[in-house]
Amino acid sequence: MAINWSQILFNSVITGSLYLIGAVGLTLTYGLSKFPNFAHAEFITLGAFVGYFISVQLGLGLPLALLVAFLASGIAGFLCYRGIFQPLAKRGASIIHLMVASIAMGFILRHTIGAIWTWKPLHFTATWSAFDVGPLRITGLWLWLIFAALALSLAVHFLLMNTKLGKAIRASASNPELALASGINVDRIIWVTWFLGAGLAAVAGIFRGADTQVWPMTGWGIILPTFAVTILGGIGNFYGAIAAAFIIGVAENFGVAGLIALGVSTTYRIGIAFLILIITLIVRPQGLAMLFRRA
Amino acid sequence: MGPLLYGLDVIVYIGIFGIISLSLNLEFGFAGLANFGKVAFFLVGAYTYALLSQAGVPFYLCLIAGGLISAIFGLVVSLPALRLRADYLAIAVLAFGEILRLIVKSEYWLARGDWGIRVLPIFPWAGSHLVYRLENIGLVFFCLGICFLVVQLLANSPYGRAMRAIREDEVAAEALGKNRSKFKAQALMLGSAMAGIAGGLYAQYLQYVLPGMFMPMVTFTVWIMVLLGGPANNWGVLIGAALVEIFDRGTNILKDYIALPVDPTNLQYILFGALIIFVLLYRPQGLLKESGIKTKALRSVFNGRSSTKDKRS
Repeated sequence: MAINWSQILFNSVITGSLYLIGAVGLTLTYGLSKFPNFAHAEFITLGAFVGYFISVQLGLGLPLALLVAFLASGIAGFLCYRGIFQPLAKRGASIIHLMVASIAMGFILRHTIGAIWTWKPLHFTATWSAFDVGPLRITGLWLWLIFAALALSLAVHFLLMNTKLGKAIRASASNPELALASGINVDRIIWVTWFLGAGLAAVAGIFRGADTQVWPMTGWGIILPTFAVTILGGIGNFYGAIAAAFIIGVAENFGVAGLIALGVSTTYRIGIAFLILIITLIVRPQGLAMLFRRA
Repeated sequence: MGPLLYGLDVIVYIGIFGIISLSLNLEFGFAGLANFGKVAFFLVGAYTYALLSQAGVPFYLCLIAGGLISAIFGLVVSLPALRLRADYLAIAVLAFGEILRLIVKSEYWLARGDWGIRVLPIFPWAGSHLVYRLENIGLVFFCLGICFLVVQLLANSPYGRAMRAIREDEVAAEALGKNRSKFKAQALMLGSAMAGIAGGLYAQYLQYVLPGMFMPMVTFTVWIMVLLGGPANNWGVLIGAALVEIFDRGTNILKDYIALPVDPTNLQYILFGALIIFVLLYRPQGLLKESGIKTKALRSVFNGRSSTKDKRS
């Protein structure tokens, strides 16, 4: 069977876009609060469910679903930070305690979602027009996903580089004390970032849910590539994350093509992200950070 | 299942989870390592035990092999991340656990994937669940006793003190000539070996192994046990293991008698999550505080006064 290289490349772009949207929030909050938030997976899941609720159960369409999911996850992220992580950090909790708390928070969110919507997988019923461009098969959803990733990259780039908020985020990430001394309300910057980061995770959740299925493990299913993107891109580095997301997208899709050619189970596609994560830790633990402007 | 049998079942579980809690206590409590992939080493021990016992190897060799292979895995996985910060190790090991479960799930030839494999019982039980459980309690608590002794002796030895020093301040410990990577790697190897033995005991008690038995929730349960009981206090983590297991069983029994508007399984996990956050917020040192160091020299200095001052606030 001939391998459809252009399709694999196109799929890489789709995968990369999804991971980018999923990981941006994680890398920004990781950089600011200095601990990996494992509950980020549940922000993705929450977004998928709220999006499903709005667009399928209420039938209000995808744009509104994206907006409401963004707000819902954003508020969840804000509440997690203000209600749990900030008080813990103020009491001098170590990074390990914060990580455990984030896993605990993840369990609470995941099972609350499971209690509301049950554990049966749900499917977005909207049918996406599929069409062929040359050897490529493209669906409307994928075009939306690529568009969303592009829009997001431009928006975050603009936010970080051209607004006062962005400048404050960058300052607080690189040196919180100095930022505080310069009159930046670091506390507010952090919670705004948590709100935005969790909201963006929700967008990733909707696309992931629409492409596969919606169930309480939707977010946990892509937690590994999300973390791989964060580490490979350099923690807290937005531009690194863009590069890392597409590197992992390409590696996964070409890797899967290789796995099929070798006759190995394709469930190992997630192992490719793991491999990249481990190699990054061995060779270059700071990630691609120094190749890009600090963000 | 009668109440007596059920109680014995709970005791076996407390024993097995007590061993894993002790191993996490060694890694997290004494050496300060965030092992978020405990379940991976539990899985390695259980599958090693199951596969070797199918091949007809005597059970004690299976248990030891499970511990050894688990230790090797622990070393190999942690090496890339050990020199880095605690969060890198946590992510790497957590990811490893997920991958390992995927492997046993999708490699049908290895252990029949989701169908799992049967493990033959080692004890003659002649259909009596009572005898079978009592025998298992004997075996599990024998292993638990050995593990407890090892961790307890280690904690009070110069080696354990070096470990605590590295946990408190890596750079200072290194400046005093303690090789932090070596200590951490050894703690992880020993911890993984104990988790592997617990896995073997688990497989032998349940008489089967399935990938579904090794969800990340297992790791998390062990973390609750250690944090609730008191990190760096071996008695504490055993109490934590018992409390969490009884709480788990208690809610399981209650759900048959009380009608709730929400699915009790979900509620149970939510309660576990809330419990851990509560402990972290209001009693981060756990039920029992870190045990002081007991040595002959200190005892003669304090001349019989009951305990040494706990310097860790």
